[in-house]
Formats: sequence, structure tokens, C-alpha cells
Amino acid sequence: MLQAGDWAFVLDNFDYLLTGAAVTVGLTLTSLLLGFLLGFPAGAVEVYGEGIAQRIVSVSGVVLRGTPIVVIMLVLFFVVSISKSAFVTATVGLGLRSAAYQSQIFRGALQSVDEGQMEAARAVGMSRFEAIRHVVVPQALRRSMPGFQNEFTIVLKDTSIAFAIGLAELLTRGYDLFTQSGRSTAVLEVFVAISAVYFVLTFGTNRALDRLSEYYAIPSGESS
Amino acid sequence: MTLLRVEDVHKSYGDEEVLKGVSFEMDRGDVDVLMGPSGSGKSTMLRCINRLTEIDSGGIWLDGTPVYDPETDVNELRQDVGMVFQDFNLFAHLTALENITLGLKRVLGVPEAEATERAADHLAQVGLAAQADSYPAELSGGQQQRVGIARALAMEPKLMLFDEPTSALDPELVGEVVEVMRDLAERGMTMLVVSHEMGFARSAADDIHFLDSGRIVESGPPEQLFQRPEHDRTSEFLTGLQSNGH
Repeated sequence: MLQAGDWAFVLDNFDYLLTGAAVTVGLTLTSLLLGFLLGFPAGAVEVYGEGIAQRIVSVSGVVLRGTPIVVIMLVLFFVVSISKSAFVTATVGLGLRSAAYQSQIFRGALQSVDEGQMEAARAVGMSRFEAIRHVVVPQALRRSMPGFQNEFTIVLKDTSIAFAIGLAELLTRGYDLFTQSGRSTAVLEVFVAISAVYFVLTFGTNRALDRLSEYYAIPSGESS
Repeated sequence: MTLLRVEDVHKSYGDEEVLKGVSFEMDRGDVDVLMGPSGSGKSTMLRCINRLTEIDSGGIWLDGTPVYDPETDVNELRQDVGMVFQDFNLFAHLTALENITLGLKRVLGVPEAEATERAADHLAQVGLAAQADSYPAELSGGQQQRVGIARALAMEPKLMLFDEPTSALDPELVGEVVEVMRDLAERGMTMLVVSHEMGFARSAADDIHFLDSGRIVESGPPEQLFQRPEHDRTSEFLTGLQSNGH
């Protein structure tokens, strides 16, 4: 099974894998950013919007959440061909799907802020928009952190699905390694290595986001 | 001079009519207390004045301005009406000081430095100068409610509304809030208070309005209402309150 020669092969090509890991990290960040830019307003529209805008947002979310990410990506690349770049296509695919999930994270967080907060803001004369912006959103963003951390982990791992459109990210590069002639025995070693990289990335970023949550946590006077 | 005029206000939630034609007036500097059993419409009446709840018919005038006129800007109107809530409703993510500066900065456009100074003054007035940097969850209920009062006062309102300001407090914390309210009354603030605090009503109120099932059953100064209530409903209610240790 695990063989010294195959490990040496993986180690020799570790740079090649790390270049893939850099693509993975880049794709995670662009996808999450697109997901946030679309998902946050979408969540707000679901909570505060009305009529046709709210209907459109909520139906788009249902469709995106109900379609497998591989299908989204293949359709974007081969059917709609939104871009020749696999990276751009993968960003749009993962970003749209993430937006659909992030909108639900933010919707829940916005709804969890007590109604009295809005009333108190309105009672001092703030407009509805000001009250949302200065009172509800700052609290909702803090409450969305645990959900956002999950979403971060999911998107990071799902960047591997860009394999389907040939983007040279971590998984694709691992696949390239063991499909070289005479290296099929290194399958397990390659997968162990790239799994380790995925683990380090998810674990590391989750700890960093924990720190961020703690930093911005609202003091309760009970923890000290 | 009349500051607040409430005339024949009706309000229903679905099939249930909560206010069935309420009318009363307050002069500048008056302190009036609304009392009555739960569900009698006291809080709804209060909330109709700053339009957190909208009336179905009738009219309300604040300092001559028709509150429900389509021409009236509700955000401007609310600057003139301070509100203190039963559950305090302090902005949870802001310190005591920031709770006060937010409205000053965003609504009145007061510059940062001046807003901070004014907020600190208002905190000092309610005895909380030392708690300026504390977050609501770090304060006791009584302290939170005092910040709530300071937040409303900082907007320099013409009228202050208190919606059961002490009923969410532990008994030993009621006194500090009542003291702040009494102090405010003595300084001439016009106050409309929904409360069953007999001590406050007796010592600070000009008039007490007794509400039952959406109507003002009886109004009058505290001595009259407490000692010689004209209606059975009023005396029953007051007897109940007194036997509960209020």
C-alpha cells in the first residue's frame, strides 16, 4: 500500500501540489467574496424586501440550492460558456451557489436580532434604512459568523469540483500526478497528501475566524 | 398650553378593538400616568403617539402638529418624542455612551466630539458617568433602563413616553429608575407614563388615567383617584394593586 518510493514521488512534486493549493485558496476567496457581495443583499431583501424583488431573490436561491454544484459548473462552462477561463467560471459557479447559502445565513441572522432593537432605533428618529444599517446589521453580522465559518469550509473543499472543468487546482494537480505513466501506485499517497493540505487550510482558517469572532464579540460581562 | 392632544383614537388588531375612542390632553410640563389591567390598551395608546403603532381613526396632535397628517415626517416627529421601553432595548453592540451618541450623530447630525460630550453629560445626569464604556449586557437592569432614559433625553424631546419602565426590573432595582423619573418630572419634563408604580404616581403625577378595555374609565389627580375612585372598576383594580404590594 503505502510505499517509500511513492512518498518520495509525492515529496518531489510537492511544489506542484502547492501551486494547486494556491489556486484553491484564490478560488475560495473570490467565490466567497462574490457570494458575500450577492448573498448579503439577497438575505436583506428576503427579510426586508417585498413584492417582485423578494420573489425573484427567493426563487433564485431555491434553484441554486437545489442544483448540484457540478451541474452548475458544467452548465456555466460548456453550455452557457460565460468565460474561457476555468477560474472565472468556477468563481461564478461557486460564488452564485455560495450567495444562495450565505443569503440564508444572513437572513437568519437578521431575523434573530430582537424586534425591540429596530423599534428603539426608529423611536429616536432613525429611518428604517439607518436603523437596519447602524443597529441591526452590525449585530446580525456578528451572529452570522458561525454559519459563515461553515460556508467557508464548504466552499474551500468544493473548489475541488472545478476539477470537472479542468482548472489546475489542488485536486486536479494531484490527479495529474498519479495518472502519469508508471505512477498509478501513488494514488493513496497523493490523496493523503492533498487531504492533508485541505485539512491544514480548513483548520487554519477556522481557527483564524474563531479569533475574529472573539475579537468582535459583544462583551456580556459573564465570561471574564 | 396644550402639548399633546389625543382625540377619539381607535385601534384594532384584527377583530379585536384595543382602543375604543380614547381622548385626553396634556399641558407642557404635565406628568400623566396611564394605569389599567393588562390588555386594557395602555401600551398601544403610548405607541400610537410616536407611530410605532398606527391608529385606525381619530387624531393625535403634538405641539400643534398633526401626528397622522400625511405631510408630517414621522422621523422628525419622533425626535420630539422620547421613548423608554419595558425591555430597555439598548443597542446591544454599543457601549452606554455610544447608545446615546448614535442618535445624536445619525439623526441630529451632531459632530462626534460634541455628541460624546453631550452623551457623557446625560449619562452623568442619570448617575452612570462611570459606566460610559460598558456594554448593555455588562449593566444591571436598573442601569440599563437609566441609559435608556438618557438615550431618549439626549434627543431633547418635548415629550417623554415611558412604557412600563420598571416592570422588567428586580424589585430592588425599581427605586433607582423611579428616582431618575421623579427628578425628570421635577425639572419640568412632560411625561406620559404607563406604570403601576403607585409611589411614582402618587408623588409625581398630575393626572392618572385609568384605562379598561380600550376606554379611559376615569381620570383625575392621584389623591382623587386613589382615595375616592368613582368607578367600581377603578377601585377594584387599585385594591388589587395595593394587595400585591405595589
